[in-house]
Amino acid sequence: MVTVLIDVQSLVKVFPGVRAVDDVTFGVAEGEIFGFLGPNGAGKTTTIRIIVTLLRATSGTVIVDGMDVTKRPEEVRKRIGYAAQFIGIDDDLTARENLVMQARLHGVDRQAAERRTAELLELFQLGDAADRRAGTFSGGMRRRLDLGQALTHDPRVVFLDEPTTGLDPQTRHALWDYLRDLNRRGVTIFLTTQYLEEADALAGRLAIIDHGAIVVTGTPAELKAGLGGDAIIVTLADGVLPAEVERAAGVLSRFSDSGTARTHERTVRVFTADGSARLAEVVRALDAERVAVTRLELSEPTLDDVFLRHTGGRMRVEEVKPPSRMLIGRRRR
Amino acid sequence: MKRSVREAGILWVRLMKKLVRVPMLLFFALFQPLIFLLLFSSVFSNLDQLPGFAYDSYLQFLVPSIVALTALNSAFQSGIGMVTDMESGMLDKFLISPIRRSSILLGKVFADGSRAFAQAMVIILVSLVMGARFETGVAGVLVMAGLAALFGIAWAGLSNVIALRTGNGELTMMLGILITFPVLFLSTSFMPAALLPDWLDTVATFNPITYIVEALRALVNTGWDWGAVGQALAVTGGLAVVTFAAATAAFRKVIS
Repeated sequence: MVTVLIDVQSLVKVFPGVRAVDDVTFGVAEGEIFGFLGPNGAGKTTTIRIIVTLLRATSGTVIVDGMDVTKRPEEVRKRIGYAAQFIGIDDDLTARENLVMQARLHGVDRQAAERRTAELLELFQLGDAADRRAGTFSGGMRRRLDLGQALTHDPRVVFLDEPTTGLDPQTRHALWDYLRDLNRRGVTIFLTTQYLEEADALAGRLAIIDHGAIVVTGTPAELKAGLGGDAIIVTLADGVLPAEVERAAGVLSRFSDSGTARTHERTVRVFTADGSARLAEVVRALDAERVAVTRLELSEPTLDDVFLRHTGGRMRVEEVKPPSRMLIGRRRR
Repeated sequence: MKRSVREAGILWVRLMKKLVRVPMLLFFALFQPLIFLLLFSSVFSNLDQLPGFAYDSYLQFLVPSIVALTALNSAFQSGIGMVTDMESGMLDKFLISPIRRSSILLGKVFADGSRAFAQAMVIILVSLVMGARFETGVAGVLVMAGLAALFGIAWAGLSNVIALRTGNGELTMMLGILITFPVLFLSTSFMPAALLPDWLDTVATFNPITYIVEALRALVNTGWDWGAVGQALAVTGGLAVVTFAAATAAFRKVIS
């Protein structure tokens, strides 16, 4: 029996001039790690802020653990943990004080708050820094502390908005381990990310969101399998003419299961069920047509391919901008 | 009620810890009043020889004004703290927890009052060292600091309205400074009512700072003037109710 912990139906959020979330429907089962994958501006943060009661929906319903977020926001707040994209830590308090305060604000009594804080400091390896002011912490430590803050009251589900944006790869991988560990302890995780590899590494199921709408939902394996086998990717010479790319696409489309090839700048890709077996044929065909190839790849489909297929564009990852931290004034995303 | 106090208490403790750990938060609002206290009490010391000046010395006359100025400065610090919490994500953290929305402002009110009280005490102690005498003694001094705290709370409401409406720390500070000076000089803060030009005397009647300064001045110089204290309480309390209604409205708008 699967319990649906988060049930989002026909969610719409309209800001003046923008439909930030446009008829989004999905459900998250208890115990899942559910990923919301999309570029900046896709509507991820807006959706998450509506679910965690920080923003009001224009229309649609959101039920979290049986509670309607609009009608019983306080009940929802008791049940969830939330770590925003921009970390909310008081720099003048120590890690321990920040955690105790969050627990207390969630109605945990003092003794229990201190006990829980000690556990969380241990879990996130902040024990040595527990009594240092948070202002002295590194980016990774701050992220861990913020994650801890979302867990002080033992929520059944945590919402993490781009939990690793701005972290170096090593710290990012360490954080993934924490999240997997957390999930093994029974915590349902809803996370948004703009990193394909992150969705691939963590999410049991994911939805790809673009321009405010969900374009596809499934497990990473399902989504990749849906593309039909392996990807053959051909890169043409630098400065190649668009007509030449089209000609190459014409040749390659003969090998495609769907009969079409996708082009992006000077690369052409097709999906074929038995890519490795047909690679030699591909090379001969390209050679016969005198297509100047600089690089030929055969790869299992990636989420990037999935994204490309469903949105018609490459995943636009904008690397970390200096955070505009005005979450209240302009909370549009 | 009990719940609100508990929740506001948690947030009050946080702000008090910051106040103790970041001395700038405590002393920021004190620099200008201290300088005024030192300078004005020397520069204007001969004003006590003017006919119609009814105080023993200009210092005796000035101390209450400086206490009020400190409370005003302290109040305009409040909105800056609000903007910082909005920008740092702390406000979101409070909003996501299952506490009453009103507790967030309430905790801030308590903290603003506590800070203004402590700052008023610093000014009073410095003026004691400078030779000021307090007619109503220790009890009077505590009442003075209490009135200053209430006065600080009343103006902190305005500062928070600006902060919540603009979301801009610099603007909040600028508007604070901009408001402080006219409010201060269009009152009996630096010159007794009898020596003010007529028009200014009229303006001063409508200036809330006049009432607090007159009450404090009575406590310093003449004794327990319940009429003046009562008037100050009524005017300042009324102002506090108005500014906090506005701040609550602005707060609701921001969080909805």
